Amino acid sequence: MRRAISWAAVVVTALLLQSTVFARFELGGAKPDLVFLATIVLAFLEGPSSGALAGFVGGMAEDFLLNQPKGITALTLTLVGYSVGALRQYITTPSPLLPVGVVASASAAGIVFYGLVSFLLGQLEVGFGYLVRVAFLTGVYNAVLTPFLFPVIRRVAESSRATRVFRW
Amino acid sequence: MALYRRARSTRLLVVSLVMASLITITVDFRGGQHGPLESFGSKLELTVIGPLQSAVSKVFHPVSAFFGGLAHIGSLDSENRRLRADNQRLRTLVAENVTINRELARLRKLFDLQQSLGLKGVTASVVGESLSNFEWSVTIDKGSSSGVRSGLPVVTGEGLVGRVEQVSSNWSTVMLIIDPRSSVASRLASSGEAGLMVGRGRNTPVMDLVSPDATVVANEEVVTAGYRGGVYPPGVLVGFVSSEYARPGSLTKSILVRPAVDFSSLEFVEVITGTKKPVPAPTPSPSPIRRGKHKGKGKG
Repeated sequence: MRRAISWAAVVVTALLLQSTVFARFELGGAKPDLVFLATIVLAFLEGPSSGALAGFVGGMAEDFLLNQPKGITALTLTLVGYSVGALRQYITTPSPLLPVGVVASASAAGIVFYGLVSFLLGQLEVGFGYLVRVAFLTGVYNAVLTPFLFPVIRRVAESSRATRVFRW
Repeated sequence: MALYRRARSTRLLVVSLVMASLITITVDFRGGQHGPLESFGSKLELTVIGPLQSAVSKVFHPVSAFFGGLAHIGSLDSENRRLRADNQRLRTLVAENVTINRELARLRKLFDLQQSLGLKGVTASVVGESLSNFEWSVTIDKGSSSGVRSGLPVVTGEGLVGRVEQVSSNWSTVMLIIDPRSSVASRLASSGEAGLMVGRGRNTPVMDLVSPDATVVANEEVVTAGYRGGVYPPGVLVGFVSSEYARPGSLTKSILVRPAVDFSSLEFVEVITGTKKPVPAPTPSPSPIRRGKHKGKGKG
């Protein structure tokens, strides 16, 4: 229960920051995507099933609260959370830069996937060149933000981990 | 064994979440603009995110201004001054609108015309910008309680901004004319040639379907055409001709139009209510929305 609340807090905070502070931040046509960042970091710390669940909930929340086409972000983030959590188990480097690299590549891959799904549904109104550029820039911006936000999310995740009994 | 079972339950979880997402996508997609998910989502967005945005943007304004400032550093001070001046001018323009409208109504009555272009407006401030990289819209702090309805045109002192997309009681979203979903029936001010201006996101909007014989002058004004029953009132400044080109194999001419409004610095906008009355025939009447210096021109 505590876990659920603290994760929800992370996601809601990410959404709020995304829609207010970072909505105005736009360089080269892209913004950082904090819900992607939060999902990736949670998956990185907690593993594939928690990552998938956090991604699904965060994605649905983003889709409904920001009134985007429903379900696409949820699908993207479910898969991103699962993949990051699953791949994480095979990486053993202790480098402190690892989260930064993971966030950058997973964000970019997630945006491209989102764009492809939107395209298949006929809802992508921009060209592929633009999509790739947005994916690249979002990856870079998220990577830049990671060193600041990773420790915060890790603290939230770790403080709630004591009550493992209530794990879903 | 336990490990195996755990991996399997993870897979089961992921598969069911993916299924749930796909079902949501399908339901939303089949429901279209008026589906249950869409209306639920827009209600949620406007009642939850709108007020929060406004509250947080008040607190975080310095922070967000700092980030925003990174993009256009150096021009902030002059921009601020310009926006203040704009705001002032907008207020006077609204006051002038009333007078001009009254004049217009009297003249029309005199000539036994039955309609008048009653331009009434609601001033709103922009509290949030589009959150997606693929949508160009803004959130404003006025909604149905102030008379804002979906589809109403939105302008600033500089020109046409877009139209209201979704409305809740105190918040609405405005689709900008640079959004790829937006198209504006517009007209070259001097020759009167009509065309359709379509947004292209970050790229300059393009005015299509212009007759190939049309003479196009650089920096010429482009105004809304305002057909009967259309969304936008006639004669509102949209932008300026940037350049023209013919698409290969196309029978019509395309014109790049530089919007008159700077969409990166929107702060106050005017929602035009009262266009519910049928718009009169698109005579090239001078619009009160046009810039001050053009205003007096075709009046006499």
